[in-house]
Amino acid sequence: MRCNYCEWRCELGNGKLGVCKMYVEDDNVIKERFPNKWSNCGISRIESIPFYHAYPGSRSLTVGTSGCNFNCKYCSNAFIAKEDPALVQDRMLDYSPQEIIRMAKKLGCHNIVFNVNEPTVSLPTLIEVGKEAKAQGIPMGCLTNGYTTEESTELLSSVFSFFNIGLKGFSNQFNKDYIGIPSVEPVLRNIKRLAGMAHVEVVTPVIQSANDDELDAISDFIAGIDPEIPWHVFRLLPEHDMKEVDYPNIEAINNSLETARTELAHVYFHNFVGSDWVNTLCPGCGHVVIERFSLGCGGDKLHRFLYDGKYCPECHREIRLLGKKMEWNNVEVQS
Amino acid sequence: MSMAIIDAREWQNIFDLRTGAKIEADSPVVNIVRGIQGHHPYPGDTDPGSNKWVSDVALDIIEKYQPQLVFLAYAGQYFTNRYTPMTGDERAEMFSAVFSEVNRFIAESGFTPIIIGTGNMTDFKDFIDVSKLDGLAVSTHWSARYAGLHNPSVSDLKYLEKHPKIERIVGRNELLGLFGASPAEAARVPEYLVLAKEGYTFKTASGTLRKALMIPANGFRIPVFCPGGNPNEITDIRGIVDAGLKKDRVAVIILEGIGMGNFPWQNTSCINGRDWYYYEPGEAQYLTIMTGEHRVFDYPTGYKYFEEDQETKEYPFSGYFTSLPEGTLASQFSGKSIAVGNKSMFMHMVTGADLSIECFARNLYNQGTMGVVHRQDKL
Repeated sequence: MRCNYCEWRCELGNGKLGVCKMYVEDDNVIKERFPNKWSNCGISRIESIPFYHAYPGSRSLTVGTSGCNFNCKYCSNAFIAKEDPALVQDRMLDYSPQEIIRMAKKLGCHNIVFNVNEPTVSLPTLIEVGKEAKAQGIPMGCLTNGYTTEESTELLSSVFSFFNIGLKGFSNQFNKDYIGIPSVEPVLRNIKRLAGMAHVEVVTPVIQSANDDELDAISDFIAGIDPEIPWHVFRLLPEHDMKEVDYPNIEAINNSLETARTELAHVYFHNFVGSDWVNTLCPGCGHVVIERFSLGCGGDKLHRFLYDGKYCPECHREIRLLGKKMEWNNVEVQS
Repeated sequence: MSMAIIDAREWQNIFDLRTGAKIEADSPVVNIVRGIQGHHPYPGDTDPGSNKWVSDVALDIIEKYQPQLVFLAYAGQYFTNRYTPMTGDERAEMFSAVFSEVNRFIAESGFTPIIIGTGNMTDFKDFIDVSKLDGLAVSTHWSARYAGLHNPSVSDLKYLEKHPKIERIVGRNELLGLFGASPAEAARVPEYLVLAKEGYTFKTASGTLRKALMIPANGFRIPVFCPGGNPNEITDIRGIVDAGLKKDRVAVIILEGIGMGNFPWQNTSCINGRDWYYYEPGEAQYLTIMTGEHRVFDYPTGYKYFEEDQETKEYPFSGYFTSLPEGTLASQFSGKSIAVGNKSMFMHMVTGADLSIECFARNLYNQGTMGVVHRQDKL
């Protein structure tokens, strides 16, 4: 029986597992192997995840499970995403959907964001959490690699109202060599689809001489959907199978973003300490409307919020934002 | 103004340490630190060259700045022991390498060493699951023994009291009384401190981190090699360093994850706390060594650290420090001082040294190095 959660559409049955090892066929039904088991349930600044244009300043409950349907050579969470999920269950947290919501409230979180691994590998659990969150008016967002089937993309959009989608490379060759998927087309399709339904930001880790020549193509693609979509370009931190690779050169990558900055309203370049390119500037006049710190592995952080959340105070151009600016220690939840 | 120089490999920037604002600075001292950071990229927490980086950076600063007081923290063996499966022989070899590295530093620098081990490590046995309490348990990933307990219910306390892996539950007043906390300090201390038995640690709601294979062991006593005296308690070390500085150049060398069992130098067995409380490796232990006073309450075990992380928090590059600690050894020393470490980004806070260079890494993610300049007027 085929699992149709992601585009691998793995054949499951007779104990056979798919790419993510998170689903199993049981009596002609695809079921989760480890429902309600969480590798992560902690507090994060929303800017650290990163979301720069959703609920700025807010306190997010970040949750994650185990397993992944990608095989990125540089995976930064390989110790949980690339391990056999069965081998990490001893360290998992056991929370029902109701308990996740209770924990969000107990920790004073304004929203819930799925990160760490890929939400598609735990979709049934997330649908249940989404129902509880919706009933409580708590917004949910996620990081996703966008490799869902069309039907799963609809399910994701029923759970999450804001997305940061990883567009790791534009060519099929890069995606085969570095990500382990045959084609980027499903990801492109899903970015288009989700951008029409929800708040979307896009993130691209850059590997010099591997995908830095694809940055213009990615920028063109995003601009073709909506030039207001924020784009996060990440300096790759060499991890996992790429530990020996040189750190990408910051100036060289920054220079290669010139075209993108002419066609996209918000291009951010970060994932290194002290980045100069984490502030939100008004695309109309260049006025700084949101200041942030980039702490690299320590996460990014809102520093100063300098507009009304709608219009530039200088030229009155609209600057897109989902929700409003939140106070870190104010427990008010805003959907 | 104290400044932070961030080196993210082939890219440096300078910031006001307190506000985080980007600044321009060009002075002989700043240029020394920048040059050394550029020459010595940090290899990573579990890289075999991690401890060598500490010695190399320290020797380079000593040559250019000529300090009389040096602080070093070697932590490569702590991270490797914690996360990498090893045989006994491999572990012995790793320890031998760090001791050789320390001896190399001593021989090449000519400083009089005071060497402190922060405590043994032991095999991780199991978690104590406190993630589903009615109240909130707070414990950092780096703490093995302690969890702070906030707003527990009666049934929470019953569950914990009967738990076979829990050593005891301590009420706030007992902790406050043990160290004589001021009312301001008491405000951030949790209602209870829960103590795990050796080998166990707490599973709390928290961020994703790697699973530890070894964790800090019971550490009521730590080894100290101290040619100038015999510190009976951890708070005695500061006075011995002060006395030593009157006649020698002194290097205070801290070895993470090294305890009484594997410390190779002749040593004093030093009390690492008070009564039932001992310091685990971390900021409080370093601050106590550096100030000669128990500093349990600057950032109390199990406090709700996240509530202090609002956007107005100062010292954005200094973890959860919200101010420069007072009374640190180097901040009260009139001579020149430096600090180098590969544990975390806190040496510049806990030592108060004129110049510091430390790794900028968290959860083993290596982002580069941070140099901190507190004083430029001594060159």
